[in-house]
Amino acid sequence: MNELLVAILLLAPALGGLACLRLRGRFVELVAYGSMGMSLVVGIGLGLAAMQLGHVSAFQGAVAIDALGAYILVLTLLVSVLALAASPHYVRHELVSGAFRPRDESHYYALFLWFVTTLIAVPLVDNLGLLWVIIEATTVVSALLIGINRSPDAIEAAWKYLILGTIGVGFALLATLLAYASSVGALGASSDALNWTRLMSIAPHLNPNLLRLAFVFALAGYGTKIGLAPFHTWLPDAHSQAPSPVSALLSGASLLAAFYALTRFHLVAAAGLGAGFSSTLLVAFGLLSIAVALPFMIRQEDVKRLLAYSSIEHMGVAVVGLGFGGPIALLGVTLHLALHAFTKATLFISAGELVQHYGSRRLSAIRGTLYAAPVAGGALGGGILILGGLPPSGMFVTEFAIILGGVTRGWGFAAALMALLLSLCFVALAVHGSRIIFGHSGPVERSGAVDWDMAVWLAAPLLAVAVLGLWTPGWLMDALVSIRTVLGVAGV
Amino acid sequence: MTFTALDAARLLDTCSAGIVVFGVLVAGTTSIGRAIWLVAGQAVLLAVAVAGVGFATGDTHLVFGGLLTLASRGIVVPLILGRILRASPVRSERDPYVGPRLSLVLAIVIVFAAAFAVDGYALGDATTSTLSAPRALPVSVAEVLTGLMIAMTRRKGLSIVLGLLVFENGLALTAFSLTYGMPFVVELGATFDLLMVVVAVAVYARRMLSVFGSLSTDQLRNLRG
Repeated sequence: MNELLVAILLLAPALGGLACLRLRGRFVELVAYGSMGMSLVVGIGLGLAAMQLGHVSAFQGAVAIDALGAYILVLTLLVSVLALAASPHYVRHELVSGAFRPRDESHYYALFLWFVTTLIAVPLVDNLGLLWVIIEATTVVSALLIGINRSPDAIEAAWKYLILGTIGVGFALLATLLAYASSVGALGASSDALNWTRLMSIAPHLNPNLLRLAFVFALAGYGTKIGLAPFHTWLPDAHSQAPSPVSALLSGASLLAAFYALTRFHLVAAAGLGAGFSSTLLVAFGLLSIAVALPFMIRQEDVKRLLAYSSIEHMGVAVVGLGFGGPIALLGVTLHLALHAFTKATLFISAGELVQHYGSRRLSAIRGTLYAAPVAGGALGGGILILGGLPPSGMFVTEFAIILGGVTRGWGFAAALMALLLSLCFVALAVHGSRIIFGHSGPVERSGAVDWDMAVWLAAPLLAVAVLGLWTPGWLMDALVSIRTVLGVAGV
Repeated sequence: MTFTALDAARLLDTCSAGIVVFGVLVAGTTSIGRAIWLVAGQAVLLAVAVAGVGFATGDTHLVFGGLLTLASRGIVVPLILGRILRASPVRSERDPYVGPRLSLVLAIVIVFAAAFAVDGYALGDATTSTLSAPRALPVSVAEVLTGLMIAMTRRKGLSIVLGLLVFENGLALTAFSLTYGMPFVVELGATFDLLMVVVAVAVYARRMLSVFGSLSTDQLRNLRG
């Protein structure tokens, strides 16, 4: 049964993508929706089952989903659906403007579905080697998507991403190999020694020196994909140059996948070495990422780069929270991942709409959107305020929880530094956000009738994020707590 | 005449030595065509070493791994790179950030540093097997670092990719030395990934040639801040 579900979950988008290669226009959209829908339904079913049972496995343990994996899986699927829903509008505009050749439409949907396939495979596999293979595959597929319109900037971004991503992820392979080597003393040359479930079960017997080295390489390797400073340089280029729905997927889902991989290494390292070593590194690099992103957010001129730097900031926040540990911060991190995924995906989609509407990516041009394009403009401006952590939105609550959690766990100085940096980030984003909504722009064409479809697609996730800070439904809270239990193995 | 574990160990040492020499030569050449041959040569030696150990130990999965390496890294990848090179107007690395002589010296320094710092046998429990694949570990670390050095100090897209491939050859040798061959499905996946990376490189190389007229990364500095 589980085998069948996992097969449908992965094969639907994989084969759908293959079919897309031969289709165009309305048909390609229908196939994409169909396969994505199938995957979504099955994935949510599997996710709920894993939440209820605590653990779902298939294919003789090759697939192992715990509460954390289920959560990442469901979030990835939801973000993918959101990004796919925004794709037809985007693609048609690019076709009309001539940025896409007719064949690019088929390639776009095929690569999109394959990207989604690789992303949802990440939280499923038990073997860290296979996890590495899949994350490397996400890099290649998404690199092909980033430069799909052949503009010089997009080619530059895709090239840098391909090279730096491959090198970065290469270090993650070293980490995986070292984790294996650290187990040889305890397990001998056994074939399941790369499975994280197995490593967790024998963590105290792992060779500590090799495990330490493994975590350092994992931090550099998967940290590159998360966008942790100083390995982040590709991220603003790639996330800003990609087609906007792909940017949504990159920021909303692919960062989650990398975060998931790093988390597995952190959990093994913490179980084997005690929490101190990996936590300290996570807090240090997380804070560095927030600090590095801040000046670029303040002085930013390009709307999509602003969002990309904010992704670096927010992943920094999540990584710091993971490092803090403890019940409050981990609960904050768990919810923060979801809120950031939805907010950022929505923002990239609305930014994409506005860039097409204004014909410019410059923040000095995209102003006064309340008049010119109320739906996308309202979503972008409002979303940016939420992103900054405007109270009482969910983002404020999760960031507050992480800071509070840090203080209670004895990370007073780091927590204070983070609070300071986040307030500055808020100021930067608030200024940009209010200019986008109310500022003076040159003469722009006012968009016609309000597009209600789009209004619902954009408003729903943002409203959810805004409300979740004040009120978290019981079932969601239960889910968050069971995920925290997985994260808290390291010692709550 | 039988192929014993001792023969396999000698074969492994010989191939490792060859891999090191080829890596140093890649660092010291400015001809991209020659570098492609050298990187392919590294892959062939890697394949021979893995398959040889497989024969000696009767481990068929290593033999298959060796054949896979030969077919992908040794044949397909160099062919694709050769095609890109023929389409490109400039076939040598004209002014790298670090010149060929200095790179050569740096590569040699890296090899000695790696040999000095990484003692494969000191990994203790990782060396329980009689054949001791970890003896190749210093070589693999040296190749990982040499590859990084090449990728960081070159300007031409293709040279950077060749650095990346030396790095990848080093990773493959590390994988072999530390784990004695990963589970076959992982090896298969990693090979597939590598081929996809090279295909993506080919796609973007074509686009760079048609948009910029060359593969020089000097044109790739528009995105800032």
